[in-house]
Amino acid sequence: MPQSAPAEAASYADRPDEWLVERCRETGGENAFAELVRRYRGPVFRLAVSILGQEFAPDAEDVAQDVMLRVHHALGSFRGEAKFGTWIYRITFNQALNVKARVRYRAPHVSDQALAALPTPDRDPYDRLQNARRQQAVLACVEELPEVYQSALRLHYWLGASVGEIAVLLDAPENTVKSYLHRARRLLHARLAERGFDAR
Amino acid sequence: MHDDELMDQLLRDAMTAEVPQLSAGFDARVLRRVRPRRLTPAGRVVIAAYILIAAAATLWLMRDLQVTWIVAAVAIGTPVAAVASVYGRRLAAGR
Repeated sequence: MPQSAPAEAASYADRPDEWLVERCRETGGENAFAELVRRYRGPVFRLAVSILGQEFAPDAEDVAQDVMLRVHHALGSFRGEAKFGTWIYRITFNQALNVKARVRYRAPHVSDQALAALPTPDRDPYDRLQNARRQQAVLACVEELPEVYQSALRLHYWLGASVGEIAVLLDAPENTVKSYLHRARRLLHARLAERGFDAR
Repeated sequence: MHDDELMDQLLRDAMTAEVPQLSAGFDARVLRRVRPRRLTPAGRVVIAAYILIAAAATLWLMRDLQVTWIVAAVAIGTPVAAVASVYGRRLAAGR
């Protein structure tokens, strides 16, 4: 007996990705694709945000939407050599890099006045300004790091992702992610010192 | 404090911006974009009428031309129309 649409959609929740992909390919099943979107929209969006950074985070939703459309159009060519998750995260990484390359020149200028207005626990205006400048320098130095380091740092420190989650999103072993984070912090420390900022 | 721990703290202090969220209508928007677009019955009638009128007008306009000109026009026009059709479909699908 054929299932109703909501019952059919609910029955997809327990199916593995590969089954859903096969279903999309064979029947163009909208419910199967909807389940894939529901599963991956969050991680895809977070990965896009981590690559685009704070300034261009509003573009992350467009990236996530483009990724889903690309995935839908390319499902026929997905051969299953890699996991579906690995495949979609790779598409996301590349798509977010393309968008970042396009939008990076429209970065807004943040004035010292705006920085000084940032809420910090320090009461002394001078300390507050120094802190704000140092934090701005940190963010600027992060922008200069290799993309994969930037992404790992933002996922960990901004989006609160665990090393395990980052490993899945970046398709790297957990030890490699730990190494990315460690090297990124060392590089940042050196870059900050070059700019005359002390980490202390 | 060790440099690595200091950098750790500095990064935590610097990355405090509000974490963006996906908008509520994301799924619906994506699914609407991937849904195949079909012409309404009225749209089909308009397209069919246009094809018939265009074919009749073309035949009438070409009635005095030599066969070689007609063959040349068809040979050039057909692939151009086919390419334009494929391009149009891709554009509509957002590819």
